[in-house]
Amino acid sequence: MTPEDLPLYLLPEAGPEGLTDAVSGGMVAALSWQEGAAPFLVRDTFDQELRTSGRMLIATEGRSELLQPGGAPLCQAGGTAARFVADFPEGPVKAALSDLSPLRCLLPVGAGALRRGTLALLDDEQKTQARAVLLELDATDGGRATVLQLQGLRGYDKALARLRRMIEAAGGSALDDDALYSQLFPGLDAYSPKPVVPLDRYTEAFDAASDIIAAYLPVARANEAGVIADDDTEFLHDYRIALRKIRSVLSLFKDVYEPELTAELKTRFSALMVPTGRLRDLDVYLLERDAFYGMVPDSLHAGLDRMFALFAEERKEAQKALSGHLRSAGYRKEITALIKLFDKRKKLAQGKRADLPAYDFACKLIWKRYRKICAIAEGIDAGTPDHEVHELRIHCKKLRYLMEFFTPLFPAGPFKRLIKPLKKLQDNLGLFNDYSVQQESLQEFLGRLEGGTPGNLQVAQSVGALVLVLHERQLAERARVVDSFAAFNSDETRQTFRDLFHGGKE
Amino acid sequence: MKIIACYSNKGGVGKTATSVNLAYALAQGGRRVLLCDLDPQGASGFYFRVKPSKKLTEARFFEDVARFTKAIRGSDFDNLDILPANMTFRDFDVFLARMRNSRSRLKKALKAVKGDYDVILLDCPPNISTLSENVFRASDAIVVPVIPTTLSQRTFEQLKEFFREHDLPVKKLHGFFSMAQGVKSLHGDTMDEMRREHGKRLLKSAIPFTSDVERMGVHRAPVMVSAPSSTASTAYGALHDELVARVFGK
Repeated sequence: MTPEDLPLYLLPEAGPEGLTDAVSGGMVAALSWQEGAAPFLVRDTFDQELRTSGRMLIATEGRSELLQPGGAPLCQAGGTAARFVADFPEGPVKAALSDLSPLRCLLPVGAGALRRGTLALLDDEQKTQARAVLLELDATDGGRATVLQLQGLRGYDKALARLRRMIEAAGGSALDDDALYSQLFPGLDAYSPKPVVPLDRYTEAFDAASDIIAAYLPVARANEAGVIADDDTEFLHDYRIALRKIRSVLSLFKDVYEPELTAELKTRFSALMVPTGRLRDLDVYLLERDAFYGMVPDSLHAGLDRMFALFAEERKEAQKALSGHLRSAGYRKEITALIKLFDKRKKLAQGKRADLPAYDFACKLIWKRYRKICAIAEGIDAGTPDHEVHELRIHCKKLRYLMEFFTPLFPAGPFKRLIKPLKKLQDNLGLFNDYSVQQESLQEFLGRLEGGTPGNLQVAQSVGALVLVLHERQLAERARVVDSFAAFNSDETRQTFRDLFHGGKE
Repeated sequence: MKIIACYSNKGGVGKTATSVNLAYALAQGGRRVLLCDLDPQGASGFYFRVKPSKKLTEARFFEDVARFTKAIRGSDFDNLDILPANMTFRDFDVFLARMRNSRSRLKKALKAVKGDYDVILLDCPPNISTLSENVFRASDAIVVPVIPTTLSQRTFEQLKEFFREHDLPVKKLHGFFSMAQGVKSLHGDTMDEMRREHGKRLLKSAIPFTSDVERMGVHRAPVMVSAPSSTASTAYGALHDELVARVFGK
């Protein structure tokens, strides 16, 4: 009968050979390997979603196999060349990958040769009473690993327990951590787009700022190759977020560096951001394509077809330009210089609050920002001009960044209870802003359209309709702001802010 | 779920070899199969190296669902489980009725251990009186090996007669020629005559008499495993295909 689902084991590097010597309870262990080896390729998203969730996706012989902790491996035909999960043919592997980001492509992690085998526990009549299926992976530029899956046969529970004990005694460990990756691909670095920067209450503000910047610079660098290769749109997104975090440290951590140095660094990091803006805007348009089509009636879709064709063309150019920029000597020199600057830190002139302890510093900054937000929000009503709402959004964003930077200094529970409603408020303000920015940039796009070109009238009609819908949506978001803020700034939130950042005082 | 009985009212006609290979072929075709070894003289369990279960007594067997599920043994092959012999099966039709009833405790217990079956294949003892006619009633198909001799011809007719007398649908009977020897003119003549007489009640496939089948006792495995490219294996494959088309529909 179908074998019961049992956890996967990773065998020690010696493999299963030693297991056959162990004879127990009148039974013999027999090991057999299938003839020949097949090439395999392991893939993962760049931010290692599979690795960090304990899974491994293997492409071999036209099939996709997914090893996962606590269950039998999944297998389906095809998908070996699928770039995104959506490109997989329907099947159990695709279904199990549905938690991966739809925006992230699968990139090769490592390749090698695999062979399959069976380890069977036979009784005195040569009947198999328990079995383990073996998968031996031999990485080309790495190590070797044998994964083993126990398969029980109905009615032979004792033999299964015996085989399990044998495997555990031989050093087999349940496949539930990073061991398979580190054994197979020892050179593989861990990557996280959100590095955790260790801080304590007494870390000096200067060190805290420099540590955070030093942690985000490599994140930006790590994403360069994916932007150049145009693997997926998340590379540029994460590249920009890393730089934006650095810029926010420079503007939020007041007087940690000397004013002239702060100004200079701000200029230099802004200069790094500038060439990325247009490509990101176009990426967002193209990703939101379906949403835009949904905003206008079918009769206006032809105009959108043409608009998106123009965007796609422009994107090609923008991508080429940016990848040229990232490969240029000038850029490389600048980014390595910045990395060196925050690595050595000798040339970083300290400001007057450089040696403030991180905790005091954080409390001051967060409390001040929170008070500012309250002051603006309390004045907001239906008649408040848009630019004040924008200002509220920016302050909220800064508050969020500050809180994220200093997370390790505060108790996790109350901190989470503040972040959650703040996030909700930010979602509201974010949409308000997106709709407004999109209207502006679509109007700017209209301005650039040449009236004489055939088809452009159609585009103009469609864009006009889009702007109208976006305007309506912006108004709707605008109407929600007062309520969102009230929901965020509950009595409980106010008290928590006071307790955490202002010694409980008003 | 379908119940297929493999039955012959005459011994030594290759019934157990048929049960074993048919069970294997059905499992290979992706169906989840439970082969029940009901024939105390038969050896379908022996061919799968499954030791007979000694602990079970009939009375407790049918009272206790857990005991039943515990008696089932996994074969060495995917999708194929064995219910070993060494029991008396007087109330076997009760068991089959419970297997049919999706709300029975037995069925629920099997589902709970992912042991629900697509096919239950019965290797029946060669005597109608031992096995209740109710088993015939419960089965979707009765597969009957027939050696193309005059004697076998008569027993097949007797079986048809038994079905008519007991108001059992004769359409459930699926005879086929077993241990057929092409060189024997008697075999050839009998086969022609029987095909004329019984028409659709005989499958087109025939299993030839070969030493590969006889050696199953040495290999203790289906001939489709020990000699997969033999004529016997090909013939069992064809028998499986034909039977599946009849029982499960195309």
